[in-house]
Amino acid sequence: MARSAAVFGFNEYSRQIANQVRDIYQDFALFVISEEEKKEALQAGFLVELIDLSEDWQGIERQFDVESLIVFCALANDAENVFLTISLRATFDKLNIVALAQDNESAIKMKSAGADKVLPSLQIAASVISDMLGKPIVTKVLHEVLYEDGLLNIIEIEVTKDSEFVGKYLHDIHFKSEYDVILLAIVDHELGTTFSFASKGHNHHIDPGDILVVIGYQDKLDALIRAVRKVHV
Amino acid sequence: MLGQWVVTFAFFLHSCANYRNAKNFTYNILENNHFPYKKYFDYSMIALIILSVYILIRQVKYEMSLTWLFFNNYVISAIFLIEYLLRMWVYSDNAKVIIDQYENDLFLHRRFSLSQAVKTILKQKFEFILSPSAIIDLLAIMPFLHELRMLRIFVLFRVLKLFRYARSLRRLISILASKKFELLTLGLFALIMIIVSSVLIYVMEATNPKSPINTLFESLYWSVVTIFTVGYGDMVPVTPEGRSVAMIVIISGIAVISFGTSIIVTAFTEKLDDIKEEKMIEDVSKLGKFYLICGYSALTNEVVHRLRKASKDIVILEKDPLKAKEAQSEGLYVLNFDPASLHTYQMTRIHFERQVIAVILLEESDVANIYTALTIRELNKKIPLHSILHKPENRKKLSMAGIDEMVNPHELVGFMSKKISNQPVAFEVIHALRSEHGGTAIDEIILDSGMSKRFFELLVHPLFHQRLSMLGIYQVNEQSFVFNPAANFHIQAGDVAIVVANRSLVNEFRNLLHRKKGK
Repeated sequence: MARSAAVFGFNEYSRQIANQVRDIYQDFALFVISEEEKKEALQAGFLVELIDLSEDWQGIERQFDVESLIVFCALANDAENVFLTISLRATFDKLNIVALAQDNESAIKMKSAGADKVLPSLQIAASVISDMLGKPIVTKVLHEVLYEDGLLNIIEIEVTKDSEFVGKYLHDIHFKSEYDVILLAIVDHELGTTFSFASKGHNHHIDPGDILVVIGYQDKLDALIRAVRKVHV
Repeated sequence: MLGQWVVTFAFFLHSCANYRNAKNFTYNILENNHFPYKKYFDYSMIALIILSVYILIRQVKYEMSLTWLFFNNYVISAIFLIEYLLRMWVYSDNAKVIIDQYENDLFLHRRFSLSQAVKTILKQKFEFILSPSAIIDLLAIMPFLHELRMLRIFVLFRVLKLFRYARSLRRLISILASKKFELLTLGLFALIMIIVSSVLIYVMEATNPKSPINTLFESLYWSVVTIFTVGYGDMVPVTPEGRSVAMIVIISGIAVISFGTSIIVTAFTEKLDDIKEEKMIEDVSKLGKFYLICGYSALTNEVVHRLRKASKDIVILEKDPLKAKEAQSEGLYVLNFDPASLHTYQMTRIHFERQVIAVILLEESDVANIYTALTIRELNKKIPLHSILHKPENRKKLSMAGIDEMVNPHELVGFMSKKISNQPVAFEVIHALRSEHGGTAIDEIILDSGMSKRFFELLVHPLFHQRLSMLGIYQVNEQSFVFNPAANFHIQAGDVAIVVANRSLVNEFRNLLHRKKGK
């Protein structure tokens, strides 16, 4: 997991991103591209740095360990955001870049510019609105699970090298009855880097590095984390 | 004495529910275009008219059976007569006129004037009788009164009755009526030209033995045929003076036709938007259940795109004509009206209880959304209201305006960024579930009381075990979510289970759950 985060831009979106992520990283920085943004960010209580989009980004390399840095490109203008993304990607191969796009068209450009993950704001809002209408309860529950600090949570647990789970098959572990959690998906590195839903019914062989995505109450999840990380004797 | 009796009877009619219902129903079926059964009445009358004209044409050369003639002359005519009388009945309310007159006289300490009330009633009824459509109706009944062969031509007036029943024909008349002044001016010009040229050609040609134009009627016939650019050529002037008149009439004729055409085309062009709007309102009023979206923007387009995938009908209210046009070009039901105005809902005849599933407010400011929400809440307290929230600080205000659910895109992006940063795989899993990428879906199954045993049995059925995950049950009464409930959980009517599985497996689970219940 990344240890540092940087947010670019200061507008309603970047303010929300900064508010959500600044407390979960050891190092956090906010970069803006205009004096006006800088003034607003300072007023909102952020430490802020003014940058020029055409700079060579060596400052970032000096300030952060780029390999453990996650960057949020959230400039107000999509064209500038694409330019920022492509500039960062051109300089840092391994940088984790999350870019914000107003719509799908810009999202495609951000992807082409090298963003690892793109958040198209328009599509996100539209999809939540249509989900609210079509599946109101699912939307409500998922919102609580994903974004609210309630008791129910969704987490991903990486199976450690010495874990008791290593060598077992998925169907041998009774997540529901034994741990009171539900396994939603697994990243089985034997099969690829993407996840596979548990409901596909495949009986995966668990290896070190595999990731389990589970949903449950926080205390039960903590118990499962302890169980997964328990050293196999 | 008579006056008192009439007033008592008027009050009786006014308060008699059966009489009022019968009159309302008759009015609706005859005159109210929005009454759902009126179209069946109109279609029946159109069928009778077509049949009637067919009989007239057929009997020109062939003998018709007496049954058919009786049907045409008496049955159809009797139906039209009844219709005519009913229209006259519903045209005005006699009981109300009498009561108004009585109350007015009572207020002024005067004796009730029955004659004044009768005068008002007759005035109103004559208004109806002298209206163009009522005259046509009356003439269409004529064959019933006269069996003379000449008068059978009156059947053709029945064709004119089509204007009553076919909306498009009425629209045509209203379009032409909007250019009444221009058309009358042009008509007057044509009339003067016809009269002047008829007289001139008569004067120039009638005395010439070689000329085919010998009478005033022939010169009038020649003028009409020439000015309207038909020019049969059966009669032509032969004198140089007559030919000079012909040249002037021909030039005037071209002007009359071209001006006439341009006036009609302009009328259609000007009314095109109104016609389209009227048609759109009509289409929307025929829709079943739909989502009502207030405000058109790029976000609306995205929401519409998703709702359409779920085969839902959507109606958009947008006050900006340019935006409304843009939305119309996307093939959507768009009404160019202000969603915040009460007048809009009267004009568009949107029926909240019968038609609207939910209202989605997607206008470009919280101010506009609050205003629209208050308008809608004034009309309907229960309809689910969803809104975009532009500024988080306005959340409470939107809630006070009666909005049930709000979506703030900025907050959402913030939450997502946090989840992507620390739980990227979990985020992707949920995203894939929501969008059903890869065929796995998260869905709701509505449960019924007494279903607990069946429900939990099915979950461990070999078809679903390890392949369908039940996350939990949402208890509607308590409004709480019970995660991973035990098999002895008591399900209540309306509770909702949230399950994760392949889409077809979810559907099969739902089917089996309800099929078992049937047994």
